Order: sequence, then C-alpha cells, then structure tokens
Amino acid sequence: MGVLPVLPVLIEDSTMSLHGLEEHWNGEETFAYLPEKSPVPRDWVAGALESLPEALRTGCFCLLTSGSTGSPRIVVGSKGRAERLAAVLHQAQQSEPVAETIVTLPLSYCYAFVNQWLWARMSGRRLVMTHGLSRPDALLASLRGAGDAMLCLVGPQVPLLIGMAGEEAFPGVVRIHFAGGRFPQERIPRLRAMFPNARIFNNYGCAEAMPRLTLRPAEAGGEASDIGLPIPGVQLKTGEAGEILFRSEYRGVALVDSEGCRPIPDDEWIASGDLGREDAGGHWHVLGRPGEVFKRYGEKVAIPQVLATVNQHWTGQSSSYRDRDSAGEDGFALVLCPVPPEETVRSILQALRALHPRTHWPLRIESRDALPLLPNGKVDGGALKDLDGKLLHWRQRI
Amino acid sequence: MTNLEKLKDLVIDVFLIDPAEFRLDLRRDQVDTWDSLGVVSLAVGVQETFGYHFTQEEALSVQSVNDVIAILSRHGIGFDAA
Repeated sequence: MGVLPVLPVLIEDSTMSLHGLEEHWNGEETFAYLPEKSPVPRDWVAGALESLPEALRTGCFCLLTSGSTGSPRIVVGSKGRAERLAAVLHQAQQSEPVAETIVTLPLSYCYAFVNQWLWARMSGRRLVMTHGLSRPDALLASLRGAGDAMLCLVGPQVPLLIGMAGEEAFPGVVRIHFAGGRFPQERIPRLRAMFPNARIFNNYGCAEAMPRLTLRPAEAGGEASDIGLPIPGVQLKTGEAGEILFRSEYRGVALVDSEGCRPIPDDEWIASGDLGREDAGGHWHVLGRPGEVFKRYGEKVAIPQVLATVNQHWTGQSSSYRDRDSAGEDGFALVLCPVPPEETVRSILQALRALHPRTHWPLRIESRDALPLLPNGKVDGGALKDLDGKLLHWRQRI
Repeated sequence: MTNLEKLKDLVIDVFLIDPAEFRLDLRRDQVDTWDSLGVVSLAVGVQETFGYHFTQEEALSVQSVNDVIAILSRHGIGFDAA
C-alpha cells in the first residue's frame, strides 16, 4: 500500500472569504474545516486525518466537535448526506420564503455549516457573513438591512442580543433557529417583539448527527425541554439509562478521537449525549446532559428545569457547573451574568422555594461580569468554575 | 448587628422565607422549607454565625426560632430582645 496523500485542512478565514470552502466542497477530496481559534492542536488534527481509511478520503468533510468535553473529536460527514439533509431542512423548516441567512456563529460549527452555508449554497440563497456579537454594530446593521432573513443562534446569545438591540425591532428577519443548547423558551415574547415577522424554531441535534435530529416551531410547545418531532429520515429512542439514541440517514460516517478512526455502521444507534423522553404526543424532551441530571439526597435533580425557573425571574444569562456539598453529595452552582441586583437574587430564591424542593436548589448563586464562552457561542463549562471575578450572592450552608 | 438580627438573617437565608414571615415563635411545622436538610443547614449556619456547634440531639430538638435562642442562651450567647 502506498503512502496516502495528506488531506487538506481549511481554517475558517477571519476575512470571511468562502472561496476555499466552496472549492473544496466541489472537489472530490475529503477536507477538514476548522475554526480559526481552537484549543485543539493542529498536529492532532493532522494525525487524526491521517488515520482516515481510503474509503473516507473522498466525498467527505471533517468538522471538530465543540471540545466542551475537553476531548477533541472529529466527525466525518458525507457531502451527499449533508446535502440531502439541507434539502430536507428546507422543507421541514419551511424555508422557501427565506431569501438570505445571516451568519452569527462560526461556520466551522456544524450547525451553522449545514443550516446556513450548505443550505444557502444548495438553495441559491444569499449568505450574509458577520462577526456575530463580537462586532455588535456590524451585526445590527445586517439585522436592520435584512430582507426575509434567517438567523441561526444559540441560547446564550439571546441576552446579549437583547442588550445590544434594546427596544429596536427587526422586521426583515423571518426565521430564527436555535440549536446547540437549551432553547430560550422564556425569552420568546421578547424575541417576538424584537423580530415581529419571524417564526422561531427549536432545533435539536449533535455533531454526530451532522447535525439535525428534531425540530419544533416555538408555538408548538411551551417548555424549553420540548425539542419537537424527529425530522424525516431520523429515528429516536431512549437507551437503558434514559439516554437519547438516534439513527439518521444524514449522520456522520465516522468519528476520529484519540483512539483513532471508527466508522459508524448504518444500523448503529448513536447517543446524542443527552437524556430524554418521548411524550404522549410524540414530542421529544431533553432532560439534560447526563451531567445535568443527577441524584441529590436520593432525589432526581434536572438542572435545566431549575434554570427554567431561574430564567422566569432573570433576563441576563444563566449557567451552571457541578459541585459537591460538604457532605459529598452531588449538587451544582448557579452562575448569573452580569451581576444581578440583590432583589433579583431574592426573587429567584423565592421562586426556587415556591417551585422546587431544597434538593433542587443550587449550592451557591454566583455571578460574573461575563460568562466565559467557547468560539461556538456555548458557555465554557471548564472556565466557569474559575474563582477569578466571581461574586457569591447566596449559598446553602451544607 | 445584634444577635437577634443575626439570627433573623440566618433563618431568612436558610429557609428562604420572606422577612415579614420571621417571628420568634415561628415553628418548624409552619415553614415548608424547614425540612431535614434545612435542619442541617440551620445548624451549620448557627456554627458559622455564633460559633456554637449544636449537638445532634439539640439540632433535632429545635422546633422553633425560640428553641434556637434557648439553646444558644444556655451556652452564653445572649439575645436581649428574646
């Protein structure tokens, strides 16, 4: 066997030139598309690509997963499957009236890559590149100039967007999609005021699904946990531990991690990484990551449910990290951003008292001026625990 | 801050009651959050605030704010208003 050629690695361009991406998508050779900033060493990526078998060296593309687990992983997708998914999403998301899509997330993020770049390419829609919330003025200008536009966001962006836009409304946005974390159900009225002509959707998936699994129009449910129905071509079930498992016609074809490259068989049920359940109406509900659902003094605690209560009384950002109390029992700390007034903390505590048993209460309520974010807009869970710059507002004395 | 004011703040904080709910004769059975974990939290809070560690028997015997005051008073911690 001869030496396999080195596969090309594209780095997302801060000048937002998409020429190289288009060229490689049109080409035969498998390529990797990586964020400009990533904690994953480039030589690790090069080694991972070297491990791809010959069958995966054409017709595929490789993306890094978020890295929030701390363990780098590459998902190898099939171009053909991704194109079919983009076409299915066009129908399922009722995107025909959409003329353009405004990009606020890194395109090397699977969600933006398929939902926006690939969809725009296939449907002949305009792709409006922005630097997201890092350049608010430019993003506001894009929103003001929007014409039948689609936005793809992640939940933690919403308080920042609201803070940036104030009372301004953007009638040119007609679709807003959320993915990549908790759906901001409590902010829907505010989002409807800001985007009066937009339909809002909760999308659910994971990088291994490349990336979509389910879809719910905001009006089709009332809980953040409700991720709606599987899109055509996707099957869901729960495993023995309550984890969401999926099969999908569009899923990635292989995973590459420190153990090497592992092709994903067609009939394999793949864990999405969340715990969930199906309700009587066929809608699926995400109960949280396995780390977000745990037992405390024998009682099951789902952090997302507690955050839903918190967000009824808090318009800023909220996040959490796991910790233990002095007795060694599992718990979590609630982190608010920016620093809340004390009366707000008090109203949050009153709501926790009214709606949750003590076992559900956070061990502490902390705040920060800014939440540490990963390049894809998700909260950096590892950095959240750092003591620097944290204020303590309340704690359980246990 | 008097010891009574400190105890009031502690009880409000541990049981998440409204300040207006606080009374010296407030009883455990009147506060839904005064559960078993609340008992432990109150005991820890008393130690942190007053430097006295309830025995297990004392912690379990507390049925009201007045009981806390009585125990602490027996150990030389004064509550002038009590």
